[in-house]
Amino acid sequence: MSKVVGIDLGTTNSLVAYVKDRVPIVIRDADGDALVPSVVSLTDDGAVIVGREAERRLLTQPGRTAYSVKRFMGKGRADVQDEARHFPFRIGGEGDAVVKIGLGDREFTPPEISAFVLRELKQRAENWFAAQGEVDFEVDRAVVTVPAYFNDAQRTATRDAGRIAGLDVMRIVNEPTAASLAYGLDNRHTGLIAVYDLGGGTFDISILRVEDGVFQVLATNGDTHLGGDDIDVLLMDSVVGADLRVGPPEALQEVRRAVIRAKWDLSERDETEIKVAQDFSPAIQRHITRAEFESLIQPIVDRTLGPCRQALADAGLQPSQIDEVVLVGGSTRIPLVRKAVAELFGRTPHSELNPDEVVALGASVQADILVTGNRDLLLLDVTPLSLGIETMGGIVSKIIVRNSTIPASGAEMFTTAVDNQTAVDIHVLQGERELVADNRSLARFKLRGIPPMPAGLPRVQVQFQIDANGILSVTARELRTDVEQTVEVKPSYGLTDEEVERILLDSFEHAEEDIAARLLVEARNDAEAVIAATEKSLRVPDFAEIEREALQSGERQKIEGVLSALKMVITSSDRDTILKWTQALNNTTQHLAEVMMNRSVRAALAGKNVGDL
Amino acid sequence: MTDFFSFLGLPRKLNIDAADLEQRYRALSRQLHPDYFQNASAAERRLSLERSSYLNDAYRTLKNPISRIEYLLKLEHMMERDGRNGSQKVPPALLEEVFVLNEELDEIRDARASGAPADRLRARAEGARKPIEAKRDAHERDLKDLAARWDATGDREVLGALRERILERNYINNLLAGIERELTA
Repeated sequence: MSKVVGIDLGTTNSLVAYVKDRVPIVIRDADGDALVPSVVSLTDDGAVIVGREAERRLLTQPGRTAYSVKRFMGKGRADVQDEARHFPFRIGGEGDAVVKIGLGDREFTPPEISAFVLRELKQRAENWFAAQGEVDFEVDRAVVTVPAYFNDAQRTATRDAGRIAGLDVMRIVNEPTAASLAYGLDNRHTGLIAVYDLGGGTFDISILRVEDGVFQVLATNGDTHLGGDDIDVLLMDSVVGADLRVGPPEALQEVRRAVIRAKWDLSERDETEIKVAQDFSPAIQRHITRAEFESLIQPIVDRTLGPCRQALADAGLQPSQIDEVVLVGGSTRIPLVRKAVAELFGRTPHSELNPDEVVALGASVQADILVTGNRDLLLLDVTPLSLGIETMGGIVSKIIVRNSTIPASGAEMFTTAVDNQTAVDIHVLQGERELVADNRSLARFKLRGIPPMPAGLPRVQVQFQIDANGILSVTARELRTDVEQTVEVKPSYGLTDEEVERILLDSFEHAEEDIAARLLVEARNDAEAVIAATEKSLRVPDFAEIEREALQSGERQKIEGVLSALKMVITSSDRDTILKWTQALNNTTQHLAEVMMNRSVRAALAGKNVGDL
Repeated sequence: MTDFFSFLGLPRKLNIDAADLEQRYRALSRQLHPDYFQNASAAERRLSLERSSYLNDAYRTLKNPISRIEYLLKLEHMMERDGRNGSQKVPPALLEEVFVLNEELDEIRDARASGAPADRLRARAEGARKPIEAKRDAHERDLKDLAARWDATGDREVLGALRERILERNYINNLLAGIERELTA
């Protein structure tokens, strides 16, 4: 069986982890290095370099080397206007269209750049599995973490990056939640936990209740544009001021490296020097004390406190009710950050686990749960932002409120305004504000295929479903005629499925025959899943009883017929035939699946009631 | 097919033991969550997604005593939609309080326009809030009593009284929000 890993795709660094013999471990390179810098560089002859080597090229090839690309995931060009000047590489694209990153003479979308990092991690893990003597060392599936406060577009962009890298992203998990999972493993925690996660580019706060192995997020808040990068920019501005814009890109990187060193130093010492020799005349040398540094970054630290208070209020809690506070992310090494967190919650925060590694470890635990189906642990996460639709007068009508546990669904009824209208425009938004203009546009779509009727008569029910990844899908049905509507969602900021397919086809690593082979394997895997599920249901000890009570006469025979047909065609290389019979078995077993699920629900409730009586 | 109460194996009653509800929610989550259906058939995955969404909605609705009452009223066809419609008209039981409050708020606005000191305005607005808050507390007690009576008798007349109290409560909350806006203005 191929391997499933957990990946922390960070702004600054990325990591991959795996649960071996029930213990999560970070996979390191030959030098023992766990971190892969999230840096991608393009050489003159078009080769792509990722990680430490790319990081070194920040100084020598700044115009061909991209970093902190996570900040651009799911963003339009206009969103990143203000910070573009801080980056030495080209940031292109137009208006609301997806950001393009120019390296040399090529342009990449942020998911493509992130895919290079993911491929590096996949490669690292495969090398490690091979070195462990594993026969099947391929890594084709992963759990990938994102900031809890990532919106739908940012999550989708992350999933796209996985697809481009040849990884099936089984689950997108929120970083603070993953961290809590890694912390909760050692001791059987029970109580209320706050996870404060200040990383390279993003800030999250999550409040969880842990009980009985269930990690239930009560509320989450954050800022997807707040982190160590902002501290670096403040320091850079204070050191070189306006020269930043006129200096050569090499100099910009030199300064960036010097201020990051000083920032690290000041977590250990009371004073340090910022030294920049190269390309500056006169060379820069500046003395800086921790007190100066702290007054400089105080506004950034303060910006994290508002989201903390909001999350507490949403969870209906006072700071003093929190039992434990956990620190995650490299920026929580800064003493001022620790002090602010300790003051807010009135207790010393935990930092036993390496704040750089804890998220990846948690992701690997979640990967293990998904693969093994182990029900001891369960993560119940929430959607960070309310989901709504545009109504008359540019007002947002909320359908799923923020901090709803996911999966979550909501429905809204639509009708027509003129006679024989067959389509309705729908605009989906994410955010907390009342006006459409103040929220994030997720997607616009046209409901088509409404049967012609007098105005106001059609009743189109639109169902919004947020899955366990926090990603939205939409279905619609006209209730009078029971006709399913086609819903083509065009993402406002992001790649369409077709664009992702095209990137896959264009990428030199994926020849057309590779893709055909992969599609065939995927079809066979789906077929195997439904065969296994069906056989499992047919084999339960009390199946005869179930059949007698809940199935129609002939239902079992029909299922067995389609089952054996699918087993016959599964080895064929005709993908369409496999898909057709897989679909047929799915349809035939739909009712049985429902019966079996009702049965397990009844059993779970009965098991509970026994204790009561 | 079912409703939130029966889905959680609960009778259609308004007093719910919080710890028991949590336990039921966790037990059912462990059966239905998509985490456990990764290798399942498409039909099972879709069911898991639908049922766990329904479970989350049920838990959220029944956990909160007010949304629990509103849901029961909807279920018993005592309230169309979500009660927000009813909050436009002044409930008869609140006419007097609303009249006094609006006069006071008008005066506060006039006073502000003519440059009265902020702390005095604040004191007046807080004074205006007192009787409304008292009304709300009385309502909370009424709701508790009515909920207990519904559980004991299943009498539909109790539902009518609950409906009146809920609509009044929504109205009171809007009033309090209005005062809050005046305080922060």
